[in-house]
Amino acid sequence: MTGLLALTPTELRLLARDWTVLVFAFVFPPLVMLILAGVFGTQATVGFFWQNPEHYYVAASIGVPVIALTLVGLPVALAGYRERGVLRRLEASGVTPVQVIAAQAMVTTALVVIAVATVLAVALPTYGIPHVAHPAQIVAGLTAGTLTLVLLGVALGLAAPSARAAQAIGLLAFFPLYLLGGGGPPKGAMTGVMHQVADAIPSAIPGIVDPWLGLSGLGTQLAVLAGWAAVALAAITWLARRPAAV
Amino acid sequence: MQTTAIEVHDLQKTYGGQPVLDGVTFAVGEREIFGIAGRNGAGKTTTVEILQGLRGRDGGRVEVLGLDPARDRKRLRRLLGSQLQTSALPDRLRVGETLRLFARLAGDRVDWRALAAEWRLEDLLGKPFGTLSGGQRQRLFLALTMVNEPRLVFLDELTQGLDPVARRETWQLIERARDRGTTVVLVTHDMDEAERLCDRVAVLHDGRLVTCGRPVELVTATGTVRVRFSVPTASGVEGLARIPGVGEVAYVGGTAHVTAAPCAVVPLAGELARRSLAPADFTVIRPSLQDAVVSLLNGDQP
Repeated sequence: MTGLLALTPTELRLLARDWTVLVFAFVFPPLVMLILAGVFGTQATVGFFWQNPEHYYVAASIGVPVIALTLVGLPVALAGYRERGVLRRLEASGVTPVQVIAAQAMVTTALVVIAVATVLAVALPTYGIPHVAHPAQIVAGLTAGTLTLVLLGVALGLAAPSARAAQAIGLLAFFPLYLLGGGGPPKGAMTGVMHQVADAIPSAIPGIVDPWLGLSGLGTQLAVLAGWAAVALAAITWLARRPAAV
Repeated sequence: MQTTAIEVHDLQKTYGGQPVLDGVTFAVGEREIFGIAGRNGAGKTTTVEILQGLRGRDGGRVEVLGLDPARDRKRLRRLLGSQLQTSALPDRLRVGETLRLFARLAGDRVDWRALAAEWRLEDLLGKPFGTLSGGQRQRLFLALTMVNEPRLVFLDELTQGLDPVARRETWQLIERARDRGTTVVLVTHDMDEAERLCDRVAVLHDGRLVTCGRPVELVTATGTVRVRFSVPTASGVEGLARIPGVGEVAYVGGTAHVTAAPCAVVPLAGELARRSLAPADFTVIRPSLQDAVVSLLNGDQP
């Protein structure tokens, strides 16, 4: 416990000094929201499920920093620690790799909360905060999305041979989850196949947008996230047993 | 009487069915600087990782400060300091933050600011790890190994890649650690380092312990000496090769070059005196530990 308590503030400080992560988590999501909501305006169309596009992009942009922090920030930090022997150095001082991973996951989650608040703070004076149809479901969707993506981020950080590889794979994963998740074109504008793919990926965006705008229930989305979380947990368990894990 | 800090008996370890340690046995006394030397892949790092409880063993008995590293890993951690071969710190972590973090992890047993002063890190407290020079990093690593006031420290190739000045400075720091009463296990490729620092050296080869002893003993036991002296004519060296222990004798440009066992030096000098030859430049060149170990690993020794 001492290890976790000592390490968490240090991890927070380190992540706060990583400009790539900060830009991706705190600048990119509000910027994209400002641009896309501005481009599509307020005209409801079938592509936006007859919703105000400004409202759609405010809700959708909440999920973007979740994907960025968990699939780009977390795996790069973890893979970098493995690559450079930081995990072994800490282990020699009594901090287990599980504690390091837990500290990184906690810091990532804390940054997700701050990033979400940043998006809302930018939305408030520009497009306004849209009416929330199902608040409890949003909390459930955001929590499930964050947990699943944290697990996937940890699995990626344990699998990638280096920090650069983790960054490359993380970015490759980020864009489909962001774009097909509904952060770019709304799901209503997607063709049949892409729509099916979008429904099967573990993006954090639909779990926020759908209950926020009252589009549909969370059941299917939670089942998809649970499936991915199970895969990620199995991968973590297997990867952590490899001699190269630390 | 010196107490034992480490006892290793018949240590066995395999990776993927391949033996990497095979019957290694040695002991390290308290307050000793004990070197572990050998080629790449000899099993040095695996040995020290097993001693620290970072890896499991497949056989044999290991006792470190009276504890079994495999069973008492947590208790042992509190007594050990460690610098691993391939380890680093996050580039953006500052020196002061590093010392504070590791002191906290060790239960705040030492004042990290005092430690910084002791290891001359005060001026570097605000510098990120990634900007430190090789010597500064090693100084920080050594300070970190002392953060829990350990009874025993493991230093794995601590001076690799350092310039000669930083290396000498690091040697002084290691000696200072020993002077504080800490036992030091030093894994090294550098035989100068082993000869200069270590009370005893164990040499591993292909996972087996080839020899273990004081550097001077290893040199004496495994090496030969070279003797050089001036002689007016080649006839002065005739028959010297018949002295027991004398090997090659060569005469080049007025100088005799003789290879001999250390025990043959006095008889050789006596024979020269008997021949009324008393060369003023009679020089005995002792092989270095490196010569002895290389010779040993190449199988040149009896």
